[in-house]
Amino acid sequence: MTTDALDPLIHVPARLRIIATLAALPHGDALSFTRLQEMLELTPGNLITHLRKLEDAGYLTSQKSGEGPDSRTSIALTNLGRAALDAYTETLRGLLDGL
Amino acid sequence: MNGTLDRHDATATDEGDLDPREAARLLAQTTREAQRKFDLSSPLLSLLGAAVVLVALGAVWLSVRTQHPYKGPTAPGLVVMYGILVCWIVVVVRFRARATAGLSGRAVRQQRAEAATLVTALVAVSVFQGVLKSDGVSLSIVYGVYPLTAQLIVLGAIGAALQAGRENWPGFGVSIAIMLIAAGCAFASPRGVWLADGIGCSIAVLGFSAGQAFSRRKAQST
Repeated sequence: MTTDALDPLIHVPARLRIIATLAALPHGDALSFTRLQEMLELTPGNLITHLRKLEDAGYLTSQKSGEGPDSRTSIALTNLGRAALDAYTETLRGLLDGL
Repeated sequence: MNGTLDRHDATATDEGDLDPREAARLLAQTTREAQRKFDLSSPLLSLLGAAVVLVALGAVWLSVRTQHPYKGPTAPGLVVMYGILVCWIVVVVRFRARATAGLSGRAVRQQRAEAATLVTALVAVSVFQGVLKSDGVSLSIVYGVYPLTAQLIVLGAIGAALQAGRENWPGFGVSIAIMLIAAGCAFASPRGVWLADGIGCSIAVLGFSAGQAFSRRKAQST
């Protein structure tokens, strides 16, 4: 098995950290963009780009509430995202066992 | 999908190839850090809780230990106890507010409902204390055995139910221990119940704190 077997969407440091952080939340919970950015210490532009890629793949959803300065974007992992992380972890374990 | 993330200001790249060992380390470290940041309790907070219980109940015991016949906690004893408890509640609320900042969804709604249940139950215990007083029950019961025993049993029962729902078995264990301690210490005199509960609950919470610290250290080493 090679690293090609790992999901390329997750196998990137920033996106791996995003998914792992959201997976630590109880199922059905969401995290604000601000708190996620603070936890991961990424720039807003960097975080938005990675989130967009994961959202396009259906791994997470984002929901905007409020208007203007009071607006807030919440991000949550989808069932597909959680399953993708599980599959990624399994593949990673297989790769490490083979090393 | 709601698709509310803007595409502008994009600066991220895919950062090259990631070594599997490095990926595993990053995944474990990020998961551990996130769990710690979302955790509603900490070994240090529990350790502080053990000290608070001992000092608060010990202060009341000091105020009643020489009473013959028993009249109940004195004003200074109650001021110390409630003062310490209020400080403790402020610390816990601030800690939890930090842990849940930016969170929304089912778990947050459940936590609010749980807090409402706990407050309602504790108020109901106090109301029933008033009923006992108005019915002429002895001061040894109304201001001695009943308030502490009933409140600890209520706290323990609600805590055990909540922790069992979360499959947090150390939390479930300490909640059951508090109920058993409260029931057992009710056999002490109305004076002794304050000290016995203070020592018993403090030891139970101290054990829980040590368990939490051990679990965290174990998780960090794996």
